[in-house]
Amino acid sequence: MTEAPARLEIRNLTKRFGAFTANDAISLQIAPGELHCLLGENGAGKSTLSACLFGLLQPEAGEVLVDGRPLKLTSPADAIAAGIGMVHQHFVLVPAFTVLENIVVGTGQGWRLDAMAAGVRIAEICRRFGLALDLKRRVSQLSVGEKQWVEIVKALYLGARLLILDEPTAVLTPQESERLFSIIRQLTATGISVILITHKMNEVLQSDRVTVLRRGKLITTVRTAETGRDALSEMMVGRSIRPVAAGQAARDRTPVLKVAGLRLALTRGQNPQPIDLSLGRGEILGIAGIAGNGQDELLETIAGLRRAEAGTIDMDGQTISGGPAQEVAALGVGYVPSDRFRDGLVPGFSIAENLILGAHWQRQWRQGPLLDTAAIRGRGATAIAEFGVAATGPDMRCARLSGGNAQKVILAREFQKARRLLLCNQPTRGVDIGATEMIHGELLRKRDTGCAIILVSEEIDDLLALCDRIAVMFRGAFAGVFDRDKTSVATIGRLMAGQTDEAAA
Amino acid sequence: MLAELLNTSVMVSILAATIRIATPVLLAALGELVAERGGVYNMGVEGTMLMGAFTAYLAAAHTGSLWAGAAAAMLTGGLMSLTFAFLVITLKVEQIVTGLAINLLGSGLSVFWLRAAFADAGQTPTIALFGTAPVPVLHAIPYLGPVLFEQKLLTYLALLAVPSVWVFLFRSRPGLDLRCCGENPKALDVKGISVAARQYGAVVFGGIMAGLGGSFLTLATSARFVPEITNGRGWLAIVIVIAGMWRPVPVLLATLAFSFLDALQLQIQGIGIAIPYQLLLAMPYVFAILALAVRRAHSGAPERLGIPYSRDGS
Amino acid sequence: MTQIEHLGWRIETRAEVTARQRAQGLTLAMAAALILCSFLFLAAGANPFAAFAALLKGAFGSWRTATETLVKATPLIFTGLAAAVAFRARLWNIGAEGQVFAGAIVAYWCQHGLAGQPPAVQLPVVIAGAMIGGALYAGLAGLLKTACRVDEVISTVMLNYIIVYALSMLLLKGPWSESGGFFEQTAKVDPGSILPALFSGSRLHLGFPIALVAAFLLQVIIARTPLGFEIRAAGSNLRALEVQGTNTTRIILVVMMLSGLMAGLAGASEVYGVHYRLKAGAVAGYGYSGIVVAILGQFRPWRVVAAAILFGALVNGATFMQIKTGVPSALIYAIEAIILLFYLGGWAASGLRLRRIARAR
Repeated sequence: MTEAPARLEIRNLTKRFGAFTANDAISLQIAPGELHCLLGENGAGKSTLSACLFGLLQPEAGEVLVDGRPLKLTSPADAIAAGIGMVHQHFVLVPAFTVLENIVVGTGQGWRLDAMAAGVRIAEICRRFGLALDLKRRVSQLSVGEKQWVEIVKALYLGARLLILDEPTAVLTPQESERLFSIIRQLTATGISVILITHKMNEVLQSDRVTVLRRGKLITTVRTAETGRDALSEMMVGRSIRPVAAGQAARDRTPVLKVAGLRLALTRGQNPQPIDLSLGRGEILGIAGIAGNGQDELLETIAGLRRAEAGTIDMDGQTISGGPAQEVAALGVGYVPSDRFRDGLVPGFSIAENLILGAHWQRQWRQGPLLDTAAIRGRGATAIAEFGVAATGPDMRCARLSGGNAQKVILAREFQKARRLLLCNQPTRGVDIGATEMIHGELLRKRDTGCAIILVSEEIDDLLALCDRIAVMFRGAFAGVFDRDKTSVATIGRLMAGQTDEAAA
Repeated sequence: MLAELLNTSVMVSILAATIRIATPVLLAALGELVAERGGVYNMGVEGTMLMGAFTAYLAAAHTGSLWAGAAAAMLTGGLMSLTFAFLVITLKVEQIVTGLAINLLGSGLSVFWLRAAFADAGQTPTIALFGTAPVPVLHAIPYLGPVLFEQKLLTYLALLAVPSVWVFLFRSRPGLDLRCCGENPKALDVKGISVAARQYGAVVFGGIMAGLGGSFLTLATSARFVPEITNGRGWLAIVIVIAGMWRPVPVLLATLAFSFLDALQLQIQGIGIAIPYQLLLAMPYVFAILALAVRRAHSGAPERLGIPYSRDGS
Repeated sequence: MTQIEHLGWRIETRAEVTARQRAQGLTLAMAAALILCSFLFLAAGANPFAAFAALLKGAFGSWRTATETLVKATPLIFTGLAAAVAFRARLWNIGAEGQVFAGAIVAYWCQHGLAGQPPAVQLPVVIAGAMIGGALYAGLAGLLKTACRVDEVISTVMLNYIIVYALSMLLLKGPWSESGGFFEQTAKVDPGSILPALFSGSRLHLGFPIALVAAFLLQVIIARTPLGFEIRAAGSNLRALEVQGTNTTRIILVVMMLSGLMAGLAGASEVYGVHYRLKAGAVAGYGYSGIVVAILGQFRPWRVVAAAILFGALVNGATFMQIKTGVPSALIYAIEAIILLFYLGGWAASGLRLRRIARAR
């Protein structure tokens, strides 16, 4: 590994954002054909490092060498010319285009669009790495896994010899992830180097070497074979991790929510199977599934934001199906949406104003016809203290909050509304481990007060740790519902992919 | 009265007028179509057309050459849209507001310039008009000939622009890249391709087309410039792009539908049927609202239309 | 990647823009706009300094001209507030122009049968009629948006064109045309319906204090009431309000009607305060200028009033400038647009910065 020049060598790369150092003098070597993992929690600097390598960000200091030649990266064009390819965390595809168009767009010269020649080249790439892609299909019709293969072929079509994969399995089923790793193995066998950014330990263990990042610093680079799961976890977090002790709430099992024959009106796809569901006081129901299988629609329907095709929703014996959302909320239902800056917050508003969003007509925030500014600010100050929001004060604009702190503001608002039922859609996505632990703890405390909770998450491990029962959603319906201790990651994974499992029933 | 309208020679003249009247709007709409396919919502078409109409008149009046007028209109249209492009693409100013500012500039500057250029604003000189250029042989075809092949050169150009824009957008490599700017500019950016450069190109093309469209009003229709001569045609072009679902051929059909209304209106006035003329003049605008109200929602709009692209945002 | 990266520079967005950076950006932009305008004066064959001086003198030269500036500013305050409240909620009501017409038409429709009644009867009818007319016409665009998903920019512009023809129909050989008159206009309105002048020897009328009251009320509504809370929230993220169960259809309709109501008042103010008859010339042009005024006033009511007075001064001074220097008064509409373009550019540019990026060859 040492004789030939490294495929990629990073020397003392430093990237700052204002006073914050995202990458602090990182040095790293990747050999040809190596599968190298970048491990670290959210905010450790993995994505910043990859953005620098791909020319999307410019480091303040440091050098990057590809095959021994020093390289200045000022734009993705430079990175691509040097043979660096990247698969982004969120797909960068055009849904309205065909697979072929997505691959060839932005390549080539002149006026002619030579689809034939491109098709031949793409077919060749697919054959080499054992991928099956129908080039004429629109990307909007592809499954999540297929989209991932398109992203990889896009990079290979541009001649990538070093492929950076940024959290590629976040949206894949466990089975699709396995398929991805077999493809990665085929890539590395032909000499292509792969940098895999992840925080999932079972994926890390399949790599050749692993580099651990923490708070922008490189902690260590080790051969994977010479380390282990626990050692890596400790290095990643900087201390040993306590697993959440979910315990068992003293449930009185009085049903809070009863859903019968509910057919969701899906954004994509139609005619799902009906959903039946009963949820008791102090119970947490987890919803597993790949994003886009009806999780958002289920929560929105219960919250009264979306009409169902058919079926009823009862809260404490009172029918609430169809909303309106304001009345559902008045019954004591809180809703934490998955996209916090799109659905959850008004970025131009202060923390205090965001906390009364939706309740702004209520008497307690008014003095006659005018808003009671003092009371609203007071509410803001209380919530900031209670949820430990890192903010300058109740007047701070929410646009300036980090993801974790923005989520705390939303939780503070929805916890107050949720006297009976809390709907939580991916509350910990993209927040760091500290905030995740805090949010999980708060959810359990909320449960202990007797509030019923529906928790949607893509992290099966979290669901197994927190929930009493777990339902798996596939194509807008429940593919199965299990008690926590009677299921496994493998079973849930199979159902997420739509495979029926007789043994699990 | 209906019988009078259904007379074949009247029908032929209405249809020929439809094609003629369609010219300025079609040119502007095709330009706007290209800009919007690139993701930029240029609401400044009205002002750009107006400046095109004015500078075409000014140049033609000074040089005596109609083609110099058309060239001046294209240059002006290009410059107006370059200003727009700089503000919305480079500086990322709100596209709607910038478009309005361009309209105000067109309407203010054209009137001021007219007054400054001709001391006696009441008596501005007239210019010669583009004549019809019948296509040899084809113009002799009964009915079809007078409708399609006895038009002015700019009209042929506008009609030929329809297949040209279609080939560019859907069959050429730069066209694919441009559509990508409208659908998901990031997909282009991560391949190291400049989104801004393509959007600049599309917007300036749109401006040139709008300027040329405006020039038709002075060089081929009215022979002099009067303030607000475009009278909402730029806005109709925008409506037509929406009603035409961002595709060249439906855009052509929508343009013809609006022009047919206009031609019919002229004919009705000519015959002297007793309908208040204001009602007839207001028809295209009422029709525009109706067309948008009944259309299927979201049909064909580029996914990122009107949203400025920046790498750090989203 | 923008093209300028080939030259080794990159444009980046500033995370926080300080007041100082904004002020610098806007000052530079306004200076540039002034220089460009000077070239226009030169092109028209006038000395820019003399022209600006004439403009100033015409606007503020005497007590009389100064009050006349306020007369010219009054309709712009109304239309400026109209655009400000809608734009604040990110509703692009471009229809103040047509809503001014609608306000004037409905006010006249309600009032013209009341001739001979005392002002205490007629004036409230005029004011209320104008508000209702403007609100309904804007509400129509709101309805088209909420019920048929017609973009409000397009619908309001189309409605602007339509109402011009509607008024013409009413006035030219129509039911309201002046008997024996050749022009498209009504007869003079009843003296009891006229907005009284505030001082003798000046045309400044009751419309101006009404405009100030409107600005005050709008300021309170936006800053301090639950409705204003919704307007501000809609301007930043309407979707979040919707998720919280707020009826967004209601917000859109209410904001459009509030905006139209303000514009409608400009119609009454011009017809009953300045021209004393209903005609297109009395009510045309204020809607589009109002948008410029609203943007320059950053959608904040008191700043809108200030911007309206500035533009009132431009309009008022222009006539004197034309007499003094021969520069066509139409220039001020070009100046208006130039100021707006530079203002927008300056505002946006102060939120950006150029950064040098190294580039190896």
